Amino acid sequence: MRTIFINRNIFKLALVLFFAAGSLVARGEVVVIVSAKSTITSLTEEQTARIFLGKNDKFPNGQSAIPIDQPEGESVRDEFYSKVTHKNASQLASYWSKLIFTGEGRLSKIAEDDKEVVKEIANNPNAIGYIDKSALKKNVRVVLTP
Amino acid sequence: MPAKYWLIMLLLVSACFSKAEADPQLTLPDKGGLTNQAQTKTTSLDQPMFSLAGFGSLGVLHSNQNAGDYVLESYLPSGAGRSNEWDTSNYSKIAAQLNATFSPKISAQLQVISAFESDGTYQPEIEWLNIKYSFSRDAYVRVGRVGWPTFFDSGNHDVGYSYPWAHPPSELYYLLPIQSGNGIDFLYRYGIGDARNTIKAIAGENTINGQTVTLTSKNMLGIFDTVEYGYTTFHAGYQIRNTSTQNNTTGNIDPVIEHNNLSLGIIYDPGNWFLMSEWIQSRASYKANAMYLSVGYRVKKFTPYINHSQNTPGSFASGFSPSDFQLRSANRSQRSESIGMRWDFKKNFDLKLQFDQVTLSDHSNGFLENVPSNQNLYGSTFYLFSSVVDFLF
Repeated sequence: MRTIFINRNIFKLALVLFFAAGSLVARGEVVVIVSAKSTITSLTEEQTARIFLGKNDKFPNGQSAIPIDQPEGESVRDEFYSKVTHKNASQLASYWSKLIFTGEGRLSKIAEDDKEVVKEIANNPNAIGYIDKSALKKNVRVVLTP
Repeated sequence: MPAKYWLIMLLLVSACFSKAEADPQLTLPDKGGLTNQAQTKTTSLDQPMFSLAGFGSLGVLHSNQNAGDYVLESYLPSGAGRSNEWDTSNYSKIAAQLNATFSPKISAQLQVISAFESDGTYQPEIEWLNIKYSFSRDAYVRVGRVGWPTFFDSGNHDVGYSYPWAHPPSELYYLLPIQSGNGIDFLYRYGIGDARNTIKAIAGENTINGQTVTLTSKNMLGIFDTVEYGYTTFHAGYQIRNTSTQNNTTGNIDPVIEHNNLSLGIIYDPGNWFLMSEWIQSRASYKANAMYLSVGYRVKKFTPYINHSQNTPGSFASGFSPSDFQLRSANRSQRSESIGMRWDFKKNFDLKLQFDQVTLSDHSNGFLENVPSNQNLYGSTFYLFSSVVDFLF
């Protein structure tokens, strides 16, 4: 009985380690994408940050830029904003609360998940979004890997 | 408001609008944009015509100076100290905002707030009510009650969640308590290299119903400029107005006084720490300055910060003989040293704790309210403690 008990714990530990390692891999890399039809080939972190913080609505070439956001609480969202804007989720909420309640800004459009971001962006040369690298498709182009 | 000011505003708007038309980058149609696509191809990303959001704060303010009331806004009738050792009225507020987007160009904003007012009630009031017409996403004009962006946090002064402190530095806001105006504002943004410049021009009027006096400001005109470059934001503003002061008990109205204010501010915020400083010079019957400096550090969900904030006593032009009221107003001067911490303990909630050491000038009771006329607190030092929860909903 005792051996089985210990083995079970070891099994549980192995399971936890397996998923922990798995989640590290799954965390993967966030990539910033535009449509394959877009003429934009690369962006800097700062250019991307400005578009997603509502400070700029154009790409550097003057073309209009429409950011597609992801739902609050998604890890890809937190990773994108902390890498590109250096703001964590609560800093971001605080930033937007100022803009919303002074009537200066509106939140970006929000897609449900990586898949929907890709779908929206593929059809729209003005759209820009971020997804996990694993969700990349041929009809979108990576313009920044922060 | 006299016709000439409306004319100036119109000229400003049309000048910038015509510039916008001349610039091909600004007139790029949204064809193929998501706004159109979303309506035809998919409904999932459609944004609703109406959206509702809100914010609020609950908190206590304690002062160990029980001969007078420390108030967070200069027009509030009571605060912490003499009326209540632990005051809940100054921090507590709740507000709801309705945004209506009729088309990509036309939208409206209505914000109603219930907060402690000069009459001692929490009667809900309209904070903002305006209609916005967007020429492009970089230029708009609004008509109605709009924010007056003297300071970085003027328009969001009531939104505790939007700033790191328990309350914005009092000394700065005491000097110019006007945070909104009924009128028209115009905004135009453009890029210069890697920097972003935003110009805002405003015209309007405002009334502040204080406890003892009513301040009516007319012909308010302001021009504000904000430059964002990298992690740095600069803000500068110049505004003029004609303000008359009415004594609420006697009904006497003092002659109209022309005010002008110059305000400057800087924020450096690379993410894990920030530095903020603002300064204002106010010129009316007397000249006075106020400033603060704030430094904070962000460690995960915690943001500890320290502030220094002060205002100078007003100086009159030589040869001017001020009334007793003017002299007492001008002499009000104090400084604060603060230490505090914001804790983002839950999504859309924060808890802030702050200690302030307030020192009154040698010739005034500072901005303390309800100090008995036989009391003299000149030069004294006292302490404040704040504990506030801010939230969004």
